[in-house]
Amino acid sequence: MSSEWIGQLRSIEQQFDRDRESVADLRSLEELKNRFLSRKSGLLTLQLQNVRNVPSAERAEFGRVANEIKGRVESALEALQQKLAEADAGAAVERERLDVTLPGNRRRIGHVHPLTLARQEIEDIFTSMGYTVEDGPEVEKTYYNFEALNIPAGHPARDAKDTFYIDDVVVLRTHTSPVQVRTMEKMQPPVRIICPGRVYRRDAADATHTPMFHQFECLLVDEGITFSDLKGTLERFHKLYFGEKTETRLRPSFFPFTEPSAEVDVSCVFCSRKGCRVCKYSGWIEVMGSGVVNPKLYSFVNYDSSRYTGFAFGGGIERYHALKYNVNDIQLYYQNDMRFLEQF
Amino acid sequence: MKISYNWLREFVDIAVDAPMLGQKITHVGLALESIEDVHGDRVLDLDVTTNRPDCLSHLGVAREVRAIFGGTLRRPEFRAKEGSRAASETFSISIADPELCGRYCARYISGVRIGPSPDWLKARLEAVGVRSINNVADITNYVMMELGHPMHAFDADKLRGRQIIVRRAEIDEKLTTLDGVERALNPSILVIADANKPVALAGIMGGGETEITASTTDVLLESAYFNPGSIRKTARTLGLTTEASYRFERGADVEMAAFACDRAAALIQELAGGEILRGMIDVYPGKSKTTSISLRRERIAGVLGAPVADAVVNQIFERLELKPAQTAQGWTVEAPTFRVDLSSEEDLLEEIARHCGFDKFPATLPATRGFGSLLPNERRVRQLRNFLSGAGYSEITTYSFSNEQQEKKFYPDIEPVRLRNPMSEEATILRTSLIPGMLSALQWNLNRGIRNLQMYEMSKVYWNGGERRTLLLAACGNLRLASVHETPREFDFFALKGDIEELLAGFNTPVRLTTDSVPKYYHPGRFARVGHLAMFGELHPAYAEPFKFRQRIYLAEIDVDLLLGSSQSRQVEQIPRYPAVKRDFSLLFDKGTQYATVHRTIADAGIPELIRVEPFDRMESGPFPDNKYSLSISVVYQSPERTLTDVEVESFDRKIIDILEGRLSAQLRK
Repeated sequence: MSSEWIGQLRSIEQQFDRDRESVADLRSLEELKNRFLSRKSGLLTLQLQNVRNVPSAERAEFGRVANEIKGRVESALEALQQKLAEADAGAAVERERLDVTLPGNRRRIGHVHPLTLARQEIEDIFTSMGYTVEDGPEVEKTYYNFEALNIPAGHPARDAKDTFYIDDVVVLRTHTSPVQVRTMEKMQPPVRIICPGRVYRRDAADATHTPMFHQFECLLVDEGITFSDLKGTLERFHKLYFGEKTETRLRPSFFPFTEPSAEVDVSCVFCSRKGCRVCKYSGWIEVMGSGVVNPKLYSFVNYDSSRYTGFAFGGGIERYHALKYNVNDIQLYYQNDMRFLEQF
Repeated sequence: MKISYNWLREFVDIAVDAPMLGQKITHVGLALESIEDVHGDRVLDLDVTTNRPDCLSHLGVAREVRAIFGGTLRRPEFRAKEGSRAASETFSISIADPELCGRYCARYISGVRIGPSPDWLKARLEAVGVRSINNVADITNYVMMELGHPMHAFDADKLRGRQIIVRRAEIDEKLTTLDGVERALNPSILVIADANKPVALAGIMGGGETEITASTTDVLLESAYFNPGSIRKTARTLGLTTEASYRFERGADVEMAAFACDRAAALIQELAGGEILRGMIDVYPGKSKTTSISLRRERIAGVLGAPVADAVVNQIFERLELKPAQTAQGWTVEAPTFRVDLSSEEDLLEEIARHCGFDKFPATLPATRGFGSLLPNERRVRQLRNFLSGAGYSEITTYSFSNEQQEKKFYPDIEPVRLRNPMSEEATILRTSLIPGMLSALQWNLNRGIRNLQMYEMSKVYWNGGERRTLLLAACGNLRLASVHETPREFDFFALKGDIEELLAGFNTPVRLTTDSVPKYYHPGRFARVGHLAMFGELHPAYAEPFKFRQRIYLAEIDVDLLLGSSQSRQVEQIPRYPAVKRDFSLLFDKGTQYATVHRTIADAGIPELIRVEPFDRMESGPFPDNKYSLSISVVYQSPERTLTDVEVESFDRKIIDILEGRLSAQLRK
């Protein structure tokens, strides 16, 4: 039973379905809405106002269909509205798109000097192993720099060719060992210290020498300390500093303040002992001097040499840093070129 | 010390090739530096430590090699035919100073023919880096390289009075040495003299006049022992080091003197002919006594970390010719005269350790004892470094050396530490401040086109009588660089001041600024100080000029130890629960009224609820009289107890405006 009235309703519905296809934005949606639902001139509104002209027999059916269509139109408009609003918001965000490939706006961050970083790292390793950091004067008495370390007057190590003298009895310390003597003077064993600091030797500056450099030296004196403890301590330190795969090797040498004395090599950090230019194809790199404390030193500080033994070792902070980061000229540490400093 | 592999094999059997020998010998303490091929031979360059002069010869190194591999040590064998004339009737020798010369052995060889050395001798010397001269001179060098004992050959006919006197030189005596240099002598120098004058520097170098020449027929061969300290001193005084002095100053073997003398005499006879006069002249006032040393067995494990079997110890000592005798406690050995380094128990422990092999001792860690700690202020120093990094400053490290002229510009009143033997005129003293070093570092970078810099150095300065750590900050160029994102901003006085304020606040140190006592090197109108704790400002243009700086340089000097020592402990302030009220005023002030005065005057208004005062705009000119300037200030009121009412806030405003108007003739701008 399809009357003319209902047919008109259906054709308006079909028109709506056609028209809504062309709605692309919120403005055309508003036009669509007005065209069909405007209170005064909306096509559907006008049709609904015709209800009183519909024969009473069809009126119920007309009302039902009209309401159904109106509901459909309204919900379709609403869905369209929502869809278009979402698309519009998306477009707004889309307009805010940045060229994220531009470089970041970086703040300037300062860099701690590599020698400070290396010193801190070494200090942290040894304090974790129970050592206490000690320091002392750089302008030092010859007694502490030489005599008390078993380097008597006339010894070649005291030569003015190698040592900066202030006067006959004062020098720029040539190693940080005087701090060890000063510490031992102050306290009885157990002593377990690390002394980092600036030292001076009259070497012309080149890739591996500077007239001033930084050392760290450790001293441990206690009951029952042996050469084996020295080996174990150095092995542990090198594994912590250079990495767990690092091997440590001791070779006999001579220093006035230790006996037995040993040069300390580590397995080459660049080639892992395969042989390269840095280690001169030997697989090993010399890093420090070490040894069992010569008991002659104990007589200077009133230690009982029948009761205590100890070990000492020391290396250059520049060298340890240079080896770890492949720095091929230690003068770089003193040029203060920002292009170098910024890398740490 | 260069050692020929072939030559070495004359004294000891070596079961390994030269590279392997190099490795083995490195591990007993003679570090291999290099190996080179010389005419089918291999020459090992060994680093012989100063305590081992006995290893400055092939025989000495052979002894160490024998200790490694075992076998027999073969001393050179030779036969010399003595003539019937007695040397002692032909020539006389006396030692005037037995302290400095413990022994003088001599052989007299008559009728030699000086000429070139045979090829084998030349080749040996060349291999170990010695230049060939003539057969007699070469033989003395050969024996030195073989046995380690330096010798000297005189043309005996040139020695006046047919005698040798070993004595100290007299004042004003002179000697022209073999190298053609005339040397002024003095009584600290030991010389070999004939009846008239010095003919050689004892133990160092012979004289030109008595040198062996082509026409020499009679040779006096010297093989002596000189005091190491005396030779060292003379060598240093004269700046003259020779193969002979190198050995004597480390300690020669007094007992080797006679053997070496005979060995050389026999070689001379063999290669240059002649008659060796009967008997060696041997003046030996300093006859050595052998040293006996004891070693307690338990010290081996006690010092080295592991016991070593008696048999191993015995073998090591025997191979090193220490004549060991076992005792109940351990061993007693006799230190041979060639081992000048052996005198105490630890010396023997070292012999055991190096010949057992350092690798044979286990690696252990000492038992834990107590705890370790950093230097007392180190944690706070690291906190300070973190702050400085965050604020953009990079740490530099400069040499402690400086030159006086440079330092005096900045700290003219400090008496510096002067070096007696500086390496250059630029480095004659220790720095008295960090400023010249910093300026040089800035200059280095500026010269390389790195123009925007913030740096610091935290290190020691020195004066005659002390040294202390201090901190210097420096900056120049742009704080923010021009980029696609923003416009550049120059580092200026207030950027520096802000950093100082943050730094001091970070260490909870109150900032009380003054502008008095401006050091000459600061710009007088751009400087401030916080007592003795900090001084900062712009470098005076006159001081920047010598460095050719084209931009303003900012400096801040901070007494770190004072900073770390002065900072007080911090207690947290409660975060307020009630809202704050912010009010802005714009006021006109007389030009010349400093902000500090404004700030202090507002504080004098006595408003407990006033928690912050901040200037936010300043105009030097505008719609107001020329003698005025405009300053906009915001103030913040807040009560910890309640929300402030409008009436209260207005009364606070009134108080502030009243006091500024009353005291500073300020005018509120509408």
